[in-house]
Amino acid sequence: MRINLEILDAAFIYGKDEIVELQTKELVPKMVTRRRLTRAAKIAIYLANAVNFKVGRIVYGSSFGEIPATASILKSIKNNENISPTDFQNSVYNTAASYLSMLYGNQNEIMTISSGDNTAQNLLKMGAIKALDGDEIFLIATETLNIPNIEEVNSCIDYLECGVTLKVKVTKMSPNTAINTDNNVIKIPNSLQELFFLAQQFDNKKKCIIEIKI
Amino acid sequence: MIIKNKAYITDTALICCSGENEEQLFHNICIQNSFIKKDSNYFNNIPAAIAKISSNKSFFDNLLLKCEEILLHSNLKTFEDTLLIVGSSVGGIAITEDIYLKNGDYKKVDPNYHNIQTIQTILEKKFKFLDGVSFSTACTSSANALGYAHEVITKGIYKNVLVLGVDQLSQTTVGGFLSLGVLSSEPCKPFDTNRDGMNVSEAIACLLVQTEPKDNSIEICGVGYSSDAYHMTHPHPDGLGAKSAMEKAILQAEITPKNIDYINAHGTGTGANDSAEAKAIENLFGNIPYVTSTKSITGHTLGAAGALEAIICKQIINNQTIPTSTNLNDPENKNINLSTQNIPKEINYVVSNSFAFGGNNCSLVFGKIK
Repeated sequence: MRINLEILDAAFIYGKDEIVELQTKELVPKMVTRRRLTRAAKIAIYLANAVNFKVGRIVYGSSFGEIPATASILKSIKNNENISPTDFQNSVYNTAASYLSMLYGNQNEIMTISSGDNTAQNLLKMGAIKALDGDEIFLIATETLNIPNIEEVNSCIDYLECGVTLKVKVTKMSPNTAINTDNNVIKIPNSLQELFFLAQQFDNKKKCIIEIKI
Repeated sequence: MIIKNKAYITDTALICCSGENEEQLFHNICIQNSFIKKDSNYFNNIPAAIAKISSNKSFFDNLLLKCEEILLHSNLKTFEDTLLIVGSSVGGIAITEDIYLKNGDYKKVDPNYHNIQTIQTILEKKFKFLDGVSFSTACTSSANALGYAHEVITKGIYKNVLVLGVDQLSQTTVGGFLSLGVLSSEPCKPFDTNRDGMNVSEAIACLLVQTEPKDNSIEICGVGYSSDAYHMTHPHPDGLGAKSAMEKAILQAEITPKNIDYINAHGTGTGANDSAEAKAIENLFGNIPYVTSTKSITGHTLGAAGALEAIICKQIINNQTIPTSTNLNDPENKNINLSTQNIPKEINYVVSNSFAFGGNNCSLVFGKIK
């Protein structure tokens, strides 16, 4: 099956260790909410604002989920300390999408998938299948790998914090953009590659249509 | 949405503390045979009642065996024409824990055996699938996986889908729930006035979902999703998100709340969940359908719960028997119909609820094939 998607809007952001300016103070005025946000949640909120998304169906993806919270929990266990309740509640993979839903009162369907290096491909497939219902789907993926000693397991990713979003809907128009990540020189996690390519190609002055093969 | 095919649960396989197949599990639920036990080994010698799989095989060896069991009993020779959908909240975290706690560093941690994809990676060493995707929405993971199986089958995209709910006990989950103060040191008492928390548990639950039914199949009739948009760990106190998910599932099944004979509640035994869920059930159904939580027998298998409880619903429909509640002595909400014995009756439609951190809600409607 082939489904054609029109990319209505797109945004991406990445940083070597930490993305410096995520406008979190402006976007999340309440300090009580802001101080609980994970890095992935801050990136998700930044990207949602960049494409003017507040309410609708979300498909969120991440290969590794909330690594900083997971690493903090592991450290607590190793040191025979109690786990921080905030770390635990923030360790689930759907944390970023959930904070985004709370910020804007979004009571719609919100899915979180995690498919290793295939996360971006599967996000596009799932987005296409869900978009068959006729509404706009907000696709978003993040990776936040900036933890102490990450070099013990990472030798190929230069940008430890990355996020990308596409707003898509089904179209009958013919595809005019092919996904090709062969020449991607930015060393971001593989799990985001296809989405990053499309977000980089996006030009709001031109129609951007892709074909998703299921 | 145009419905191109219907989605039927044709085969199941499982292992949890209370059984190794659907008949054994349902029998233990009906005779109130709980294997939830007090255990201090998981976190700093703090006692918590947990439910562990009793097996001489490793957790992931059991996973492979259960998938083989599905192949053996199904009309499939291989999974090459089958979409794999995994639901898991922790993936390979127990593997990472073992390595990190032994070595004190990440050097020997393999990223492919840490994240949620771990389960698919292990399975793909033995089986070839048409494609695969994993859901990780905490305790709704495998309910959402089943919901997606229903979606891709009814939209005519796939004909065979293997749904797996898989979560293994770990120090992270036991210690994490302890830190939130929601673990009971006794087997849980869902919907009871004196309930004092939940029991963390583990399970592997496998369901083959296909376009054609066979004997004893049940239909996935409708799926409803919602988000509370309220709090990371607390449900909306009036159960608004839960009610919305159930309403949407019933609407998609093209029936009304009056058609629902039974609700397999999320019913974790925590103060917040059970009071909110009971309010949602009361507001939508009144006291008509019978309600139980089977977590007083299985424990809360986290990301595997939706898949495991779907198998329990299959048994309930096939046996035409509402199971009794266990550890329910004084119901907090007297306006819902909590069952207190095994009740043979005509059962056409049941609802299964799963709710999760982040206010993620999924309700599934299952039906007897007419």
